[in-house]
Amino acid sequence: MFKNIYAWLDERLGFDDLYKGLLDRPEPHGNWWNTLGSASLFLFVMQGVTGIFLTVYYTPSPDHAYDSIQYIMNGVAFGWLIRGIHHWGASLMVLVVFIHMLRTFFSASYKYPRELTWIVGSLLFLLTLGMGFTGYLLPFNQRAYWATVVATNIGGVVPGAGPFILRALRGGTDVSALTLSRFFSAHIWMLPAALAALIGVHLYLIMRHGESAYPDADD
Amino acid sequence: MNDEHKKKVNQKYEEQLQKGERFWPDAIYKDLLVSFALFILLIGLATFVGVHPEPKVDPTDATYVPRPEWYFLFLFEFLKYFPGELEWVGAAVIPGVLVMALMFLPLYDKNPFRHNSKRIFAVGLMSAIVSGIVTLTLMAATTMSNLVAVILGVLVAALMFFSLYKEVPFLQGAVRKAVLWVMTIALVGIVGVSYQQTAAMASDEEEVHVASSIAEKMTLGQDLYSIQCVECHGPDGEGGEIVGVTGIEDGTFVKSISSKDEMYTRNDGSLFDIVSYGQPNLGMPPYGGSYGGSLSPSEIEYIVTFMRYTWDDRAEVPAEAAGAAIPALAEGEVPSYEVHVSAVTKRQCLSCHREGKENNDYLMDTYAGILDGGINAPNVVAGDMNSILLQTIQGVELSGNDGEIIHVMPPNGKPIKDEYIDIFIRWVEAGMPETADDAAALSTEVVPVAEETPSE
Ligand code: HEC
Ligand code: HEC
Ligand code: HEM
Repeated sequence: MFKNIYAWLDERLGFDDLYKGLLDRPEPHGNWWNTLGSASLFLFVMQGVTGIFLTVYYTPSPDHAYDSIQYIMNGVAFGWLIRGIHHWGASLMVLVVFIHMLRTFFSASYKYPRELTWIVGSLLFLLTLGMGFTGYLLPFNQRAYWATVVATNIGGVVPGAGPFILRALRGGTDVSALTLSRFFSAHIWMLPAALAALIGVHLYLIMRHGESAYPDADD
Repeated sequence: MNDEHKKKVNQKYEEQLQKGERFWPDAIYKDLLVSFALFILLIGLATFVGVHPEPKVDPTDATYVPRPEWYFLFLFEFLKYFPGELEWVGAAVIPGVLVMALMFLPLYDKNPFRHNSKRIFAVGLMSAIVSGIVTLTLMAATTMSNLVAVILGVLVAALMFFSLYKEVPFLQGAVRKAVLWVMTIALVGIVGVSYQQTAAMASDEEEVHVASSIAEKMTLGQDLYSIQCVECHGPDGEGGEIVGVTGIEDGTFVKSISSKDEMYTRNDGSLFDIVSYGQPNLGMPPYGGSYGGSLSPSEIEYIVTFMRYTWDDRAEVPAEAAGAAIPALAEGEVPSYEVHVSAVTKRQCLSCHREGKENNDYLMDTYAGILDGGINAPNVVAGDMNSILLQTIQGVELSGNDGEIIHVMPPNGKPIKDEYIDIFIRWVEAGMPETADDAAALSTEVVPVAEETPSE
């Protein structure tokens, strides 16, 4: 009976092929350092899930952002947990992605044929930092505000393009409501969309070339 | 890279696959285990460390020291070495070049070898960069001296380099492992300890209170109200005639701000605005930083919360905030400065009797200040029922050493509550004990321990 159902579904969905193609792949012997890529992926998914929950109550306006966070922390059931995970997950993700990058550097995994995997990966690293930067402003408290003022000021010192960069980041001359809505939109739409797409490419490349083997003395 | 080399690489990879493992289940169980461990770690951090509370934005507070997220700290520290004209080199050129170098690494790194022993330059350079980042982060995040930070940074580089570069003749086998472990543990230990010290120091320094619950906001708001507003509006917002307040004419009349009328017509937003802009033409000073005042938006919010929950009969006061602020005295109990007197003076007197106000130099914010302060000091004498303080609060007008009169206190002639007067009298009578223990020792009646007259 179940066999029949399974066979019917498999004929249409192709479980067996999926299993063979995705899971039952041969790999060279790896070690614990190889888990950091999937750990990055896990943290990205966690950030996505907790972030979506946060947007239910978060309001991206200077008048309400702070209070809406307070409400999440004190008024919403398990709001503190969701925000806590999102807060610490951000730090952890930067750390894990960075160490993942170091490991692929030190194992020289970026050499032929995995050059593109690395280039896409480095974009992922920059996007992750971008997520950290834009997310930091959203609580709109003292720390968030002043850190963003100082950081965007740094963009402004570039000769020539400085004033333009400053205005592009802030949406005006000061850190204001416009800055907040810009950062918000980047943080919840643009950067995650880019991240998700590039993670797809990254994973495709990894499947195509397989995990690299650790080099031995002849390599 | 020539085709022959590519072929060799691919062939070798095939061989390694033959000798290797399966993604499912050999590798994936490790992946799942690590992700699960991270998940537990996150829940732990969220539960036991939480998110540090921060006050509302205050764009006028120029003294605030901005702190970026920790993983950007090294950049900020790095920028300090490029002052003035050169800032853009540190801000744009060097990071830009490094990011490009990182991104296009596979395109210009033409070294065909992969083993660490054959790419010492690349491994060394990356170790050096990472150690630089670690050093700069430590310099920015902890109070350790720069020298220690540099030493730790070098240690990180050495650690990385030697754990990857295995052909060091004098470091082999078990010795090598032991050395690497000891170094790692020492490193983590030193960084952890110095970070903790820094955090402890920081929490000593900045006494910024951030309230999260209504009860906390009410308490902080009460304190702020007592100091900032009582001199004009009275301890209960009842208003009346203003007398003896710096910067406003004696006899100015203030309507009650705690009346039902006031509470029903003004919502929190408009109260907030009144306190931040003030009502300059009526004599109400501005408190918001942008209008020349001294309070941050969070502080004004606490005051408004205090007003709303204390005076508005529609507000439901949370249970944990419902306690009376000033503990009542039991029969025969001697009040102490610590528990009773400081609470009364904070609410009733400190608004005028603090730095920068006209008060005959009688600052009442410390025990010593109350005992010895004032141009007519001493204002309280142990056991003396004619102490100046006791007379003034009981409606007696005196004349001071300089011939000027000392008005009744508070100067608008509205006496403080009888039980507060009683606290002062009993306190002076018993010789002004400072701590609750001293007072308990002086208490005559054998009442079940005196200080235990709880607030709820
Ligand atoms: C220097 C004296 C002074 C101080 C200090 C002061 N106020 Fe006032 N305040 C006034 C005067 C005068 C008015 C105008 C009263 C009137 O219209 O009757 C006023 C008006 C107000 C009103 C508006 C009443 C209304 O509905 O029009 C509020 C609310 C208020 N004050 C709150 C506060 C708070 C809160 C503080 C402490 C942060 C404070 N005030 C400190 C003098 C003062
Ligand atoms: C509205 C402001 C105001 C408040 C509230 C107030 N005082 Fe005063 N106090 C003054 C001023 C002003 C003087 C200076 C003498 C004078 O002008 O009457 C003074 C002087 C005194 C002195 C004499 C000090 C000396 O050495 O000459 C005593 C004692 C005193 N106050 C006690 C109190 C006590 C106790 C309270 C609280 C219950 C209190 N005051 C509340 C304004 C205030
Ligand atoms: C959001 C961030 C990232 C995610 C989700 C991610 C995900 C992954 C995963 C799942 C793997 C396979 C498992 C492993 O080897 O650990 C992998 C491999 C790899 N990643 Fe990433 N990665 C990210 C960022 C980066 C970065 C920043 C780089 C480098 C600049 C990078 C370069 C590589 C390379 C070269 C491989 C192949 C490793 C090999 O074949 O041995 N990745 N990545």
